[in-house]
Amino acid sequence: MGQDILEVVINAVKLIVIFLIMVQAVPILVWLERRGSAFIQNRLGPNRVGPLGLVQLLADAVKFLFKENFVPKKGVALLYYAAPVSALIPATLAFCALPLGTPMQFEAFEAFGSTWGPYTIAMQGFEVNVGIVYILGVSSLAAYTILMAGWGSGNKYAMLGALRGCSQIISYELALGLSIVGMVLFYGTFNLTDMVNQQTGHLAFTAFGYTIESTLLPNWGIFYQPLAAILFFSATFAESNRIPFDLPEGEAELVAGFHTEYGGFKMLMFFIGEYGHMLVASGLMATFFFGGYQIPYVSPEELYQFFLGVMGTAGAASVVTALVHVAVFFAKVAVFLWIFIQVRWTLPRFRYDQLMELGWKTMLPWALFNTMLTAVVILIARGW
Amino acid sequence: MTPDVFIFWFLSLVTLAAALGVILLSNPIYSALSLAMSMVGVAALFVTLGAYFVAGVQLIVYAGAVMVLFVMVLMLFDLKHELKAFTRGAFTGALKLISVGVFAGLVVGAVALTMRSQAPTSPPPATTDATRELGQLLFTQYLFGFEALGVLLLVIAVGAVALARSKGGTHARN
Repeated sequence: MGQDILEVVINAVKLIVIFLIMVQAVPILVWLERRGSAFIQNRLGPNRVGPLGLVQLLADAVKFLFKENFVPKKGVALLYYAAPVSALIPATLAFCALPLGTPMQFEAFEAFGSTWGPYTIAMQGFEVNVGIVYILGVSSLAAYTILMAGWGSGNKYAMLGALRGCSQIISYELALGLSIVGMVLFYGTFNLTDMVNQQTGHLAFTAFGYTIESTLLPNWGIFYQPLAAILFFSATFAESNRIPFDLPEGEAELVAGFHTEYGGFKMLMFFIGEYGHMLVASGLMATFFFGGYQIPYVSPEELYQFFLGVMGTAGAASVVTALVHVAVFFAKVAVFLWIFIQVRWTLPRFRYDQLMELGWKTMLPWALFNTMLTAVVILIARGW
Repeated sequence: MTPDVFIFWFLSLVTLAAALGVILLSNPIYSALSLAMSMVGVAALFVTLGAYFVAGVQLIVYAGAVMVLFVMVLMLFDLKHELKAFTRGAFTGALKLISVGVFAGLVVGAVALTMRSQAPTSPPPATTDATRELGQLLFTQYLFGFEALGVLLLVIAVGAVALARSKGGTHARN
């Protein structure tokens, strides 16, 4: 919680800010998705409300808020209302555990007749030592949201969509979890911040006491575990129910899947949940495979020393360093978010049996193979 | 009341209320959802004990996979017949009596054990990396049990596939 009242307040505010970052990213993402899809399909997209159509989603949100509130006649009111609210929870909890930047350090200072600090404020909602296990754990609860929506709607299509969505999420969770095991073996930790710290500098392979250093490539996880990166990114598409894995919606056969009966702001909350999952997936991609919040080739320490030279005081330098790292992290996340959007408007949807076969008969064996290979190589190369 | 004590009581109450919901709700789907809620509560209690890895695994395996499958299967069934069969009858009555007896024994045992232990045992020494130690214990001291469980799960998986293929349905061998 914190050593004194000020730190407790800062930590509480930090949680709220991180939640707001996630929620506020959604209108921008929806705008990007609509404009991006229009760009891909040679159209203009929403461009009337505000500059470049940026305020369109604000107008939509107001419209959603004023829509009529109803429960389907055969639905279960409690589950029907609980589902959209709980759709926000897994993504928010997971997003809070992502390391967004280097910690800010404040020296002790005197105020109101007492000494405060020194403080070290991590750029992260809360630090969990088993970060990746925690994130997988809370994300797996997203299945209940879909089930509650499907059952609470009292609608056949919603029910079918919910069952599809759940079996898909459970199936791809295996490939998702197993693809990460190789990374965990390689880094030797579950802690996301430690993983990021191990990706500093230039690419350097160490085996049998020799080190081969590359002058061109940064020391990113994707160069050690390319297969894991591909499997992980594909599995996250299925986890966040995006095309080509958006079978739970499948409008050609299921109307709109589990959110058939939802309208207005409740529908928007499912949307926020889906984009939240995309944010978490992109953040994890950046953290595992692309150096996290670090600038390629520049270690956080070098950056801090640079700003120390410019600013003079240690506190200001650490604040600017942290902010620069947060910006770099979100720049990397934005690239993956754009890939999510580009894929949605490029690929067709899988058939359901193809989806299950891809998950169980292709991705799971390859993830297992990757784990075994990594374990054997680590055993031989590091001589444990 | 310190924050730790408050969190413990709050989580215990949520877990117990959800567990009561499992046996008191008549609709099996709501029972299963309450069971999932109580498992999330148990995972949170693990966190308060500092067992982060166990809490994460509890969430992934039990709350995230096993219970989701339970709920899904329950949604596919039409359970009216089974509900009727398990409400009345001598067999059901005997089951109910046995359950009441077991529950009473558990309550008496829990109360007796709580009364007996006076001095709180000192917490185990805080380890730097509990997950690493857990893994090392699993692969050294408890290796046999760990591998035996793996074989058991494999046998279950093979058995389930064999049953699904022999009893008709979409995956039957004609």
